[in-house]
Amino acid sequence: MSIMEYNGGSVIAMVGKDCVAIASDLRLGNQALGISSNFQKIFPVTDRIYLGLPGLATDVTTLRETFRYRVNMYTIKEEREIEPETFAHLVSSTLYERRFGPYFIEPVMAGLSRSATGGFKPFIAATDLIGCLNFAKDFVVAGTASSKLYGVAEGLWEPNLEAEQLFETISQTMLNAVDRDAYSGWGVVVHVIEKDKVTTRTLKGRMD
Amino acid sequence: MNSIANRFATTGPIRELKKAQTRVEDDEFSDSVWGSEAGFGSLAKGVPNFTVPSVPDPSSFLRLHTDDFADPNCRIKIQHGTTTLAFRFQGGVIVAVDSRATAGSYVASGTVKKVIEINPYLLGTMAGGAADCQYWETYLGIHCRLHELRNRERISVSAASKYLSNLVYSYKGMGLSMGTMICGWDKTGPAVFYVDSDGTRLKGDMFSVGSGSTFAYGVLDQGYRWDLTDEEAQELGRRSIYAAGHRDAFSGNTCNLYHVKEDGWKFIGNYDISKLHYDGPGETPGAGYGYDIRIERTAAPRPIAVQA
Amino acid sequence: METSFALTGKGYVIVASDTTAARSIVKMKTDEDKIKVVSPHLLMSYSGEPGDTIQFAEYVERNLRLFHIRNNYSLRPSAAASWIRRSLAQSLRSRKPYSVNLMLGGYDVTIDSPHLYWIDYLGTMTEVPFGAHGYGSYFALSLLDRYVLSYISSKANTHFFLFTYRYHDPEATLQEGLATLKRCIDEVAKRLVVSPGKYKVKVVDKDGAREIEL
Repeated sequence: MSIMEYNGGSVIAMVGKDCVAIASDLRLGNQALGISSNFQKIFPVTDRIYLGLPGLATDVTTLRETFRYRVNMYTIKEEREIEPETFAHLVSSTLYERRFGPYFIEPVMAGLSRSATGGFKPFIAATDLIGCLNFAKDFVVAGTASSKLYGVAEGLWEPNLEAEQLFETISQTMLNAVDRDAYSGWGVVVHVIEKDKVTTRTLKGRMD
Repeated sequence: MNSIANRFATTGPIRELKKAQTRVEDDEFSDSVWGSEAGFGSLAKGVPNFTVPSVPDPSSFLRLHTDDFADPNCRIKIQHGTTTLAFRFQGGVIVAVDSRATAGSYVASGTVKKVIEINPYLLGTMAGGAADCQYWETYLGIHCRLHELRNRERISVSAASKYLSNLVYSYKGMGLSMGTMICGWDKTGPAVFYVDSDGTRLKGDMFSVGSGSTFAYGVLDQGYRWDLTDEEAQELGRRSIYAAGHRDAFSGNTCNLYHVKEDGWKFIGNYDISKLHYDGPGETPGAGYGYDIRIERTAAPRPIAVQA
Repeated sequence: METSFALTGKGYVIVASDTTAARSIVKMKTDEDKIKVVSPHLLMSYSGEPGDTIQFAEYVERNLRLFHIRNNYSLRPSAAASWIRRSLAQSLRSRKPYSVNLMLGGYDVTIDSPHLYWIDYLGTMTEVPFGAHGYGSYFALSLLDRYVLSYISSKANTHFFLFTYRYHDPEATLQEGLATLKRCIDEVAKRLVVSPGKYKVKVVDKDGAREIEL
């Protein structure tokens, strides 16, 4: 039994045209036993950054609290909101602080970063459990269904998807991947981040 | 010490395997092995024999390389998670199973047939090693037919299950893995027997086997009575499998439901467990078994839960 | 084997825990109270490693009391749950972690609603309408999920079953809630190999916490 599989759960993030999407399942389990079907693993960091924390559930809550604290301190000191790139490095260094006794979480983040011209640029990233950053141009996955998510996303994703198409793509990817994973599922939540709004939808997924 | 003693023993399963090995090495195959005799060539003499790995202790070799709970990382994965149940009541026997097969955390299939139709009056369920159950219950079917031909009457459920039990017991310690219910109708009425690869054989009214069995029992015990009507009994079987499919990660996908009556078994239906969750067995959307679904359906507006 | 259940209803939370204190294969005590009233409207059942359980429960109890003395009000259930969870999560990465599983049931007097939290020794926390710890959970959860067959009895010794399905109901009265709990306890007694004997049951509602004889 791997500690990363103890509670189950998966997250995926995808890039679209002037938008990004991030999705997770809602299961909290104790190995094979399902405990809760409403366990959120994705948290808003700012209006334009969402952070997904698949892995050991106790660390999901702990890290969520840690990041809330650190981002609040950053906002107060800098008197501005944190940018996704900066936040990614905050995540990375927070995890590396625990290099020899890690948090069992593989964070996935999605957001829109402000470009020099004042527009917004899609941003997604993921790290491993000790903070090795992986900036991707297409999609990033993590969690117990990650190998399945790779397969489906590889087949469905294409560049420059509009927000609605991106929602459809990430939803189908998530729903179909978690159906092939025993430890993920019990409902799916999807957030689509655009420059002026965030759309959150809870999907009707398989409940077995 | 034991392994040394085993190596020089003249009796016991290890010795038998040794003998089998020498036979294999001597190329002593009969022609029947190669597909003659109705595809069951290797069973022609009534006693099947198998090729075994060429190592001093084949059963521990097998254990080392199969997916045991002790070591999930090994190479050969055997299907583990399952929920199966069978119960006896006034109107016969209800047999209900799920259809998920997992290899580690991977859902390898969602359409496995876990009820083995031994003959028109006998059903066997499948939990543990899929191949073991399939093979030996088919084999049991052959012998039930032979019994019929020899004795001009159908074999009793008791005898059939005893046959299987004795058979798997002779392979005890060699890695067979099965937990099965042999269900049917004979002269004595409806009957259910639990048989497993340890050699246990139990007669009873209600059994559930597999990783999701506890969840099924939770529902089954609460709803069970001897005088259930046919519809109530079928509903109980379906709901129990649903409960297990919902809570147990290694059970799910669909539920296969059978009903055994005096004139033999009848396949009642295949039900998608997720559809049962949202819509129930009928065609009414929103009439599902799911807890959240039901709360939404019946509850008056509730205070909104505060996020911690 | 240690087992605890908890369920919410209309304006209350019921918390039940078995009463055995075992050491090795011996039952040392069969009337141990493993549910603490940690603040006026908060119940906590605890199970796990002997020693750790009582130490941690008292630690929680004293700290919540300290908060009350300092601030002259009690923590709300959600706040108390977060603090308790954090204590366990920090302990997990210490030299000697507490091995304690908790069910935390409370009544939030500020918004008039019952809350129930499932917390394990790792510091995993989730709010649930009902929950269980120990081997009992494998039998009780499916029962609570969706299946309680209610029956009406009339005449002597004859039960007439009314074929309606009843489940755990967040809108149930206390009496109905206790009946559901009784079913869980009976189911575990029927199916679990080493089932606990007696249970202690406590309830928390707007009037505070109290013990109930089942």
